[in-house]
Amino acid sequence: MDTILQGIVNGTLIGSIYGLAALGLTLIFGVIKVINFAHGSCLMVGMYAAYWAVKLLGIHPYLAMVIVVPALFFFGYLMQDIVIKPVLKAQSDVREPTEVIIVTTGVWYILDNVTLMIFGAEYRVIQTSISGKIFELGDLIISKPKFYGFIATIVVSLALVWFLKYTKMGKSIRAASLDREAASLMGINQYRVYNIAFGIGTAIMGVVGCALIPFYYVFPTVGVIFDVKCFIIVVLGGLGSIPGALIGGVIVGLIESMGAQFMTSTWTELIVYVVFLAVLFVKPAGLFGSKLDW
Amino acid sequence: MAAILEVKNVSKHFGGLKAVDQVSLTINKGEIFGLIGPNGAGKSTLFNCVAGYYKPTMGDVFFKGEKITGVKPWNICKKKIGRTFQLVKPFKMKTVLYNTMVGAYARSAKPAEVRDMALAVLEELRLADEKDTLAKNLTIADRKRLEIARAMATDPELLLLDECMAGLRPNEVDEIIEILQGIRSRGVTIFVIEHIMRAIMALSDRIAVLQFGEKIMEGTPKEVSQDDRVIKAYLGESYVIAGN
Amino acid sequence: MTRDTLDRTLKILAVLTVFTLPLWVTNPSYLQILILLFWYAYLTTSWNLVGGWAGVLPLGHSAYIGIGAYTSTILAVNYGISPWFGMIAGGVIAAIVGVIIGVPTLKLRGAYFALSTMAFGEGLRVFVENTDRLGSCVLNGPRGICIPLSNSFWNFQFMDKAPYYYIILIMLAIALFITWHMSRIRIGYYLNAGGEEPEAAQALGVNVAKYKVIAMAISCFMTALAGTFYAQLALYFYPKAILGLDLSFEIAFIALIGGRGTLAGPVLGALILRPVSEFSRIYLSSVLPGLHLVIYGLILILVMIFQPRGIQEPLTRFYKWFLDKVTVSRG
Repeated sequence: MDTILQGIVNGTLIGSIYGLAALGLTLIFGVIKVINFAHGSCLMVGMYAAYWAVKLLGIHPYLAMVIVVPALFFFGYLMQDIVIKPVLKAQSDVREPTEVIIVTTGVWYILDNVTLMIFGAEYRVIQTSISGKIFELGDLIISKPKFYGFIATIVVSLALVWFLKYTKMGKSIRAASLDREAASLMGINQYRVYNIAFGIGTAIMGVVGCALIPFYYVFPTVGVIFDVKCFIIVVLGGLGSIPGALIGGVIVGLIESMGAQFMTSTWTELIVYVVFLAVLFVKPAGLFGSKLDW
Repeated sequence: MAAILEVKNVSKHFGGLKAVDQVSLTINKGEIFGLIGPNGAGKSTLFNCVAGYYKPTMGDVFFKGEKITGVKPWNICKKKIGRTFQLVKPFKMKTVLYNTMVGAYARSAKPAEVRDMALAVLEELRLADEKDTLAKNLTIADRKRLEIARAMATDPELLLLDECMAGLRPNEVDEIIEILQGIRSRGVTIFVIEHIMRAIMALSDRIAVLQFGEKIMEGTPKEVSQDDRVIKAYLGESYVIAGN
Repeated sequence: MTRDTLDRTLKILAVLTVFTLPLWVTNPSYLQILILLFWYAYLTTSWNLVGGWAGVLPLGHSAYIGIGAYTSTILAVNYGISPWFGMIAGGVIAAIVGVIIGVPTLKLRGAYFALSTMAFGEGLRVFVENTDRLGSCVLNGPRGICIPLSNSFWNFQFMDKAPYYYIILIMLAIALFITWHMSRIRIGYYLNAGGEEPEAAQALGVNVAKYKVIAMAISCFMTALAGTFYAQLALYFYPKAILGLDLSFEIAFIALIGGRGTLAGPVLGALILRPVSEFSRIYLSSVLPGLHLVIYGLILILVMIFQPRGIQEPLTRFYKWFLDKVTVSRG
């Protein structure tokens, strides 16, 4: 009984962090209708940024967000502006330009391998003041960094929903997501909106990076692990759906942690794929997805 | 006169919005039937219900006596109903002939036959000279005619035209009116949505008027143009301008 | 010489060269490079049927290579069935799997299809890597399968590289012929139309999803044949080599850089991209690990931004210009 409860708690905590990572991807898709294949690499950049901020400045990993999150925002902003915008412009009459997938894959290769060239292939791990710390709730053991990651997910999600609903920029982003042409006729500079949406999606990866760094290894291809996870999560939850991303993340987290009690981790990975394919057949547009756009 | 298309009490609701509300129409074979109404009156929605793009919330559509409610668009096409889109959707990277051949493949699988059928349609639509032009390089007027050409290539008995003259110059409108009259004279029934009053008055045998999803009247162009409700609801200014 | 005769002469010369290459290229490792080059061209041509003509982006085609390789090998090793028949069996299974994956996803937005195919490909790799035995069939998990040596045509094994060269060349020629033929008949028109403007295509009588599924089935069938070919060429394969993201992506990239939805695109893409990636890997990875992938990434980005329809476009233009230039200056 206890191990099951423990599994649920662990799965929910790590799953929420996966969900947060997927949130950035789903936001970008919801607005620009493109899949950012460099999403995992952006997380990798966020993790390295957090790693070096902690290592060089000696600050607390969560304090590092103050530096890492804005840095990642600009990183995403510029990536959209320099690399993706030209493709979108050339394909302006295409509803869903798949060429962007290729371009962002190019970015993925470049980011991962430039990182490899600079920092080498070794796995880096940093000892922070909360690494390995736990809460004990009766028999239940809760990892502090994972718990704070869970809190961060809730805070960021609520902030994002608030931002989209109540700020002028947020409303522009939603308008642009509904109809590119109409939004630009109404005086919304769609490419600026895209840059900002992409920036926010990437900035979220900065939060994830800082949340992961106390208990996760950093290495140049760490993003790939999260890439595939995020893709599965957003399709599970429904592309473009914010609750879908979070719940999809928790589902994947639960499968991993519950499965880990009965089998090796590679088999839990397989279960994730099986669940994914099962959902695809029962509800092809994902748990929260509609065939229409949000 | 035999009815070719019967729309019986068709409603289409989107959430709380009644885009089309209990509309009934009967279109006779060989007729040109106009559908007018202010923007957002539900004209295109009604078209989409007939052409299989939407399933009506209530009501039924009959084509030549056969119920076609909820039949998929591609099967509607096979039953010999052709349609155009308000926002033209040419296959931009393909030639005019290619675009038209896609339509003609609905009637034959033999490439040579299909090509001949498509060329004949292009001749009728006065696009034969442009047959090797990529659709993306066409003028607006030519794109509108290509849209009709593709639909005609499917050899329809009923043609649904959604604002195929919007945005054209007066002489281009005249040319399309001429073409449509030619198509009708071959026995094709035409159901047309149009904003250009001059065109719809000249073309139509009968006209129905939609407002807020409801049909507010139906009659000959003359009756419609003199009806107070219609003038108040819709015609007013634009008719005066067009009349000048 | 007129423009047309020059054009024809050059094309005949090219075909003759390709068919006689093993007569002068006797070094087996060079021939092996050529074989793999055509193998990629064949794979990409197969991919192009759905990825190019149907306008969607499959990112898990390595799954079908794997299905082909494992099916024919299991049939040969366990039941003594000739790989030639196993090849067809693998193709049929791959086509069925492709339809099962395609039916729910090809109706949805393109991104769903791209991600679903990718997840399926990864899922299959994870499954195979974790399976040592499937019933009575030995898969050996990540270690892969060795095919026992027994050279004969019946066993699809040859001492020489040349027969492999001709087999893959003929496979490529057939794939190109199928593509060319399809582009001229109804299905080609319908796939193009449905890929570009699905709503308009539906109004013209095209059941877009159905035609995409058909294209998927053909494409998966053809892809699986390449899996068997690879297994018989290498006589040893393991999941990492024929399943997984890298290979799936590479196929898609070759098509996109060459020019998706065109006949020549996949072949040109393979001819150019394969040597670039091979040589840069060999020569640059010792200097600075990862540099070749940075270059690869840059090429992807630059081609997509400046030549979104692939390099076949400028190359075709150059070829035409060359024909004009030569024929004009002569006469």
